Amino acid sequence: MLPLRDLQQRFASRLLETDSASVLDWIRADGISALARVEIYRNNLHAGFTKTLGLEFPVIQRLVGQAYFTQLALAFLAYHPSRSGDLHHVGAPFPGFLQKQFANTDYWYLADVARLEWAYQECLVAEDSDCLDPQTLRNIPVDAYSNLRFTIRSACRLVDSPFPILRIWEANQSAAALPDFIDLTTGPDHVVLVRTPAGLHLSRVPAGDFQLLTGFAAGQTLEHALEAALSRDAQFDLGAALRRCMGLGVFGHTTFY
Amino acid sequence: MRVEPHIQSPLSSHVEERGTPKAAGLAGVGLRAQHHTEILSRLPQVGWFEAHSENYLAAGGMHREQLLQIRCRYPISLHGVGLSLGSTDPLKREHLLALHRLVQTVEPVFVSEHLSWGSIDGTFLNDLLPLPHTDEALRHMSARVTEVQDFLGRQLLIENISSYLRYRCAEVPEWEFLAALVHETGCGLLLDVNNLFVNAMNHGFDAHTFLHGIPTSAVQEIHLAGHTVMQLEGRDIRIDTHSTHVSPEVWRLYSAALSRFGPLPTLIEWDAEIPELSVLEAEADQARSMLESSRAAAA
Repeated sequence: MLPLRDLQQRFASRLLETDSASVLDWIRADGISALARVEIYRNNLHAGFTKTLGLEFPVIQRLVGQAYFTQLALAFLAYHPSRSGDLHHVGAPFPGFLQKQFANTDYWYLADVARLEWAYQECLVAEDSDCLDPQTLRNIPVDAYSNLRFTIRSACRLVDSPFPILRIWEANQSAAALPDFIDLTTGPDHVVLVRTPAGLHLSRVPAGDFQLLTGFAAGQTLEHALEAALSRDAQFDLGAALRRCMGLGVFGHTTFY
Repeated sequence: MRVEPHIQSPLSSHVEERGTPKAAGLAGVGLRAQHHTEILSRLPQVGWFEAHSENYLAAGGMHREQLLQIRCRYPISLHGVGLSLGSTDPLKREHLLALHRLVQTVEPVFVSEHLSWGSIDGTFLNDLLPLPHTDEALRHMSARVTEVQDFLGRQLLIENISSYLRYRCAEVPEWEFLAALVHETGCGLLLDVNNLFVNAMNHGFDAHTFLHGIPTSAVQEIHLAGHTVMQLEGRDIRIDTHSTHVSPEVWRLYSAALSRFGPLPTLIEWDAEIPELSVLEAEADQARSMLESSRAAAA
């Protein structure tokens, strides 16, 4: 008998179609060929992987159709097989894969829609944390404002795109009626995803708000994040932006030095 | 509080110790996310629920929160499908740590995994693949079960899987392999009666020989599920799909298992084409009725 490790490597190679040394010689036929027996497991792998990816990227699946999505999923499997016993991680490299797949084509926007869907998946299972209590800010001395560091809650993600990705996402929710046409030139979209006890919400925010939040997410102080937001939008109104972001439940624990 | 005081098992003692309300016996149902809200609003007469550990390893989120709410109402067991116990790769530390955290939070009645492997060289096939029942595999599996039991600080139940092939090597029968594993590690067994039936039909052995070949005291939980018959190269092969009702043959084998092992916590599993919760409750009712008969016969 082959050593167990050799057997497992040959078996996996057969399932992933990188077969170098066949496992078939080590499997009994018993009325059904070894090949057909292993095919049951290969079909399980393909079906399970495609189903998982479809659950994580339902909008991409709907946009490209089931048949082409299955082709995409199996091509993706060849490059990015699962690296975990927990299937929640399977889709992480999928947006990057689509970006390469559709670079310089009319379907480039699919990678950005996939980034939005993956951000949604991450928000669903991110650590629970409390929203910032607005009262906290009232206790901060005015001269400390510039050094405030707003923390973005772990169940919050920021996704932007030159394409109208939120409109595409909304139009492809199962309850939504598909519009006849979405003009891809009606972007850009700056999207904030937040999970609160009330649910997971996606909101389109102004470019300046998005820049401010991106700065906070990178650990910048209010002063530096504001500079970047103003460079993006000269009319940027910090007070209004902070109120909008607080309303969305974006901020968690906040410190000042 | 409703318990089944005459049925002595780890589950019933657990129910009594924790004073868990709504425990309607030993028949449970596999917990699936689409039923969470209904369970919490309706509190169905189900004895317990079993959650797939991997569905709740994440740090937070609604599903995990709902699991903890359901935990306040019902006993829960944690059933792993992704640890890849039989793999010759090292066990994944992050997975073990996440499982440990979940076990500490949920305080499950049982923690179970499979006699299988599912990963190699860091790649996971996310399936329950059969091990050869050799001395080498037994030594390996024993070391792994011991490692996990030591890490979690508690006993694991190991489940027999369905398989569609056997290896061309000197294997001992599956029941001898499981009995040796129990002897080596002190683990318990989760007897999946559907898997046993599927294997007996696919590989041509007598399921009753299996039932008499595993140590009675090790079996602590029973699984029941539906399977599908496929034709392959002109021959029938049974596939463990978990997508339909428990078959009449499996109910009969379950009855034989109850005669041998006594009334044990029994779970209805349904993982594909998942129906309304009421369908699962009806299957659990049938198991409950057979558990009652088994208890009466034992008395």
